[in-house]
Amino acid sequence: MSLGNLASVGYFLPELTVTATILLLILMHVVTKSPRSNAFGFLSLVGVGAAILLSGIVPAGAGKSIFEGMAAYDGFAVFFKVLTALATLVVIFMTMDSREMDGRSQAEYYIFLLSTLLGMFLLSSATDIVMLYLSLELVSIPSYLLAGYFKGRERSTEAAMKYVVFGATASGVMIYGFSFLFGLTGTTQIAEIGRSLAAGKATLPMLLASVMVAVGFGYKIAAVPFHMWSPDVYEGAPTPATAFFSVGPKAAGFAVLVRFYYTVFAAPDPGSALWRLTSAVDWPLLFAALSAVTMTVGNLVAVKQDNVKRLLAYSSIAHAGYMLMGFVLLSPAGLKAILFYLVVYLFMNLGAFYVVILVSNATNGGEDISDFAGLGSRAPFAAVSLAVFLFALTGIPPFSGFIGKVYLFAEVINRGVYWLVVVAGLNSVVALYYYARIVRSMFLDEPTDTAAIAVPGVPRAMLLLMVAPTLILGVYWEPVARIASDSIRMIAF
Amino acid sequence: MVEPSAYLLLSAILFCIGVVGVVMRRNVLIILMSVELMLNGVNVAFVAAGSYLGDVAGGIFAFMVMTVAAAEAAVGLALLIALYRLKETIDVTELRILKW
Amino acid sequence: MVSGILDGLWLVPALPLLGVVLNGILALFVERPLLLPAAGPPSAAAGHGHGASYRTLVAFIAPGVVGAAFVVALLCVLSLAAAPPEGRIFVQVLFPWIQAGAFTAPVAFQLDPLSSVMALVVTGVGFLIHVYSVGYMSHERAFARYFVYLNLFMFAMLILVLADNYLLMFVGWEGVGLCSYLLIGFWYEKQSAADAGKKAFVVNRVGDFGFLLAMFLIFWTFGSVSYTEVFAKAPLLSGDGTLTTGLATAITLLMFLGAAGKSAQIPLYVWLPDAMEGPTPVSALIHAATMVTAGVYMIARSSALFLLAPDTMMVVAVIGAATAIFSATIGICQTDIKRVLAYSTVSQLGYMFLACGVGAFTAGIFHLTTHAFFKALLFLGSGSVIHALSGEQDMRKMGGLKKRVPVTFLTMFAATLAIAGIPGFSGFFSKDEILWKSFSSSMGSPVLWVVAAAAAGITAFYMFRLVFLTFFGTSRMDPEVEKHVHESPWTMTLPLSILAVLSVIGGFLGIPAVLGGAFGVPNLFEGWLEPVFRRAAPAAAHAAEEAAHHSAALEIGLMALSVGIALFGIGLAYFLYRARTEKPDEIARKWPTVYGVVFHKYYIDEFYEWAVVRRVVRGADWLWQMFDARFIDGIVDGAADIVRSAGDRIRRLQGGIVGGYAFSLLAGAVLLVGYILYRSIVQ
Repeated sequence: MSLGNLASVGYFLPELTVTATILLLILMHVVTKSPRSNAFGFLSLVGVGAAILLSGIVPAGAGKSIFEGMAAYDGFAVFFKVLTALATLVVIFMTMDSREMDGRSQAEYYIFLLSTLLGMFLLSSATDIVMLYLSLELVSIPSYLLAGYFKGRERSTEAAMKYVVFGATASGVMIYGFSFLFGLTGTTQIAEIGRSLAAGKATLPMLLASVMVAVGFGYKIAAVPFHMWSPDVYEGAPTPATAFFSVGPKAAGFAVLVRFYYTVFAAPDPGSALWRLTSAVDWPLLFAALSAVTMTVGNLVAVKQDNVKRLLAYSSIAHAGYMLMGFVLLSPAGLKAILFYLVVYLFMNLGAFYVVILVSNATNGGEDISDFAGLGSRAPFAAVSLAVFLFALTGIPPFSGFIGKVYLFAEVINRGVYWLVVVAGLNSVVALYYYARIVRSMFLDEPTDTAAIAVPGVPRAMLLLMVAPTLILGVYWEPVARIASDSIRMIAF
Repeated sequence: MVEPSAYLLLSAILFCIGVVGVVMRRNVLIILMSVELMLNGVNVAFVAAGSYLGDVAGGIFAFMVMTVAAAEAAVGLALLIALYRLKETIDVTELRILKW
Repeated sequence: MVSGILDGLWLVPALPLLGVVLNGILALFVERPLLLPAAGPPSAAAGHGHGASYRTLVAFIAPGVVGAAFVVALLCVLSLAAAPPEGRIFVQVLFPWIQAGAFTAPVAFQLDPLSSVMALVVTGVGFLIHVYSVGYMSHERAFARYFVYLNLFMFAMLILVLADNYLLMFVGWEGVGLCSYLLIGFWYEKQSAADAGKKAFVVNRVGDFGFLLAMFLIFWTFGSVSYTEVFAKAPLLSGDGTLTTGLATAITLLMFLGAAGKSAQIPLYVWLPDAMEGPTPVSALIHAATMVTAGVYMIARSSALFLLAPDTMMVVAVIGAATAIFSATIGICQTDIKRVLAYSTVSQLGYMFLACGVGAFTAGIFHLTTHAFFKALLFLGSGSVIHALSGEQDMRKMGGLKKRVPVTFLTMFAATLAIAGIPGFSGFFSKDEILWKSFSSSMGSPVLWVVAAAAAGITAFYMFRLVFLTFFGTSRMDPEVEKHVHESPWTMTLPLSILAVLSVIGGFLGIPAVLGGAFGVPNLFEGWLEPVFRRAAPAAAHAAEEAAHHSAALEIGLMALSVGIALFGIGLAYFLYRARTEKPDEIARKWPTVYGVVFHKYYIDEFYEWAVVRRVVRGADWLWQMFDARFIDGIVDGAADIVRSAGDRIRRLQGGIVGGYAFSLLAGAVLLVGYILYRSIVQ
């Protein structure tokens, strides 16, 4: 039974903390005379840190439906709250270290960042389509502003403009689907929608509505062909924001994709078939095709990129494709693989972006592969770290990315979708080509400027904190895999 | 009493006009208006479904969509002004630094 | 099962790891900025102030954690010793590590008499060498980085010896290899150091390949890589015919290949002498006392498997004896003080393998222990000499140092007496045990004894040559160097003295029955290790009984003979390098070919260069020309072209106009909707 509003507050502490932090930031922004001070960053750090601690403090247990069925408090939601909050935490550090942000007002930036975080918290726990829509927009709208944060810079503004138009269109298609679902079932509860579908009411229009909803989710995770916004936005946005987009909202997008489809379409008896109504739609084929197209387009286009931010944008599209492999069968093992991959992806991708920021700081905003030439001798620690992240992203053992891929591949192999495995394998080879290009440039090319790049203590420590899990999860991943598989048990009220 | 299907047809037409506008028009302002048109088509569908089912949730959802649309429009227009200051044009075909 | 203090066993490897973390933080955040060629002008001046204090911190942390690990290990061993001999095995499972189908490998440590000897030697000698390093490396700029590597080595080495399964042992095995590589090439600005590091790395890969294959075969045969399971199953499986002698021989030969790589045996010994490019304490710790003995430990640990493969045992014994005499002869003509000791190490490792090969695992481990004492001491002493002479390593430019560095001289002299096998010193007991076993064991032979005894004579000769050239006679030093000669600080002389005491008395742990029996002194060492090898294989006990058939008189006689040979070696050294110092050059002139061949280390490096390196390079070149450049490159280039042009075409779709982007999104939606409509019509 779902809890009432007052009873739910106790399960809403992380969200309340983030909200309070946002309000404090606004207040500080109003009263302070120095909007550029680092105090905003520190306050955000404290707020997000507290939210992480509070996420873990109330055990999720079997899960609870809160706020009259609007949201869920379960292991799945907690997993994604911790994940997205961790990403935000790292991004706050990145922002404070990024020279790009020097001399600009910091307050609004952190307000947008934390609003997005609040949106991601809600998105990963939403169990009602009204809530789902609102939280998706709460993720999107501050993201537009983050992308366009350098309003005096053409690239940034252009990126934000494209983001707004694309995002609004995608969410328009999605709620058009929601309006169908509501009209056909008379409910806004996701679980109720699932029950109506199981009862066999108006199957075809329901399916049509569901794929329209998938467009909205596809836009959030940047799956081809709903990906077009992401390369432009990633290139134009401030680099810390790009790093944030590539991990946080993407993870939240996977959370909502998994929760919606798992609640509505997973067969009650996982033994026979994993999807409901596979007779009407070959869901595995549909999502396998989506996954294959996404990873192939992402990797092929990445090969031709010279701007590292844009290259990483395409690489993150490709990674969404890999992660969709786990979604193809809607089986617990596959979903667990997605969750596990998101954890390793968090560290390796944010780590890579961290080095991009350090290089950009040192080269006066340089973002091209040629700016990384000779990094091996100019800043050995950063260069070796980036090499570790890139090899992990490629999926080479003994790095964490390899284990993540093993889990994703294993489930698809188990269920006999071999062609997808072949496609993914070929894609990994292509990926090696462009990741290795950066590594080669760092260690074999002669730099134009040979002066050593000093990496201060904080970014050094942060890099170490990213490298460590990337290496450790490559050899000892059991606990994280267990947490991921525990988090998959979701409630359906 | 008008048939519910008529409302749905209206909503579909509004939505499609919006979609075509987003894809075809070059003026950013018109594109933002077309987005609004799409969302209004959605609102018609929600309100119609709500009154057909006798469920206020449809109307509530429509209000939520309007609120969000307003927020989106505010952000979109703010960016539009920033854009105009920089480039003195609001033609999307001029927004082509970021591509490929 | 014993517990209590033993539950703290995990601390033994964990403490050095803590040192790695702490020193690593200091190295990364405090030291590294200081080493940078002045990134920002103000930081350089500000840096020197706290530069000294972080070094003091490192100097306390690094030896401190190792010392603490030694204390913990000692407490654990004492509490293990409290148990009855048969119960002296303790396994601590920390956490499951890999679980993939039938394959499981936990991170678990096993303390039994064998691993406890190793753990004590590693932490004890390691601690002394850490203390010594504080003094020796005090002028080094990358002080913290050095100790990070050294602590990391301790961690990996302890994982290696304490592991309870082959996979974890392999992790430690690779870990010590990595540290060895890092420390040999510590002064990587020097080309020869970087090359030596690379050589060690490549040669060790050959051996590791053998170890990996052996591990694979073990898992395939036994379905497990845990020691307890493998050794328990070995007799059963060999009984029912699953584990044939051929299979056991294959497994053990592959393991021996791994051991030969790590422990520098023929034909893979070539990396060890070059490894002397590393700092001297590293040579003492890694390339004399601990890491290079890992191969011996591995064979002793796997004695249950080796005893099932008599052919392998013979190979091990022969290779061991051949390495012992072969590298001893090379040691005669070396002029670099550290290189003499390097070849001596190879030769002494040969003794240990000889012992294992004749089934006398206890004797091998005993020699490993005493060797750790006296060879570490010799290296540290040579380091002290080099330190005193401002970096001079050529013995032809030394001499007469006896009075100038008295502590170094006395301690090194004690170690020399030990390695030469003078009765009463530790090396005498352990070496004689090996000589006797190689003669008397059912797997031994008089030929092996003759070879080993000859090698012992040569050892005595070259070691005394080293001492005479370095410490006696008149000074041949550069006047400039001579002015600065000084005894080393206490951080260096104290470890020397402690090791000297151990080198002298260490042997009394294992007095052979034939000498001690009369006075009622038991062979403590053998008694301690005996349960391990009896549990591993009753056959080992059988080999020991075989030895008992020989008379005590014969044993005493052979012992006296070997002491005589050693004394002859010493006398010859005295004659050539003290009494008639012009003789060596005369001999070199008289037999230039022989001298040249030995001086050039039998041209083995050149032979490898010619036979292997150049062949491989040329073959690879040919393959590259024929196969790679024409065929593979064609395919790869073609594929890369396709990928690139496909990428280029696809990216043109992203034209930059947002209406097009929206179109792509809607086209996607229409495709999805169309697919569902199509399916519903088809149905």
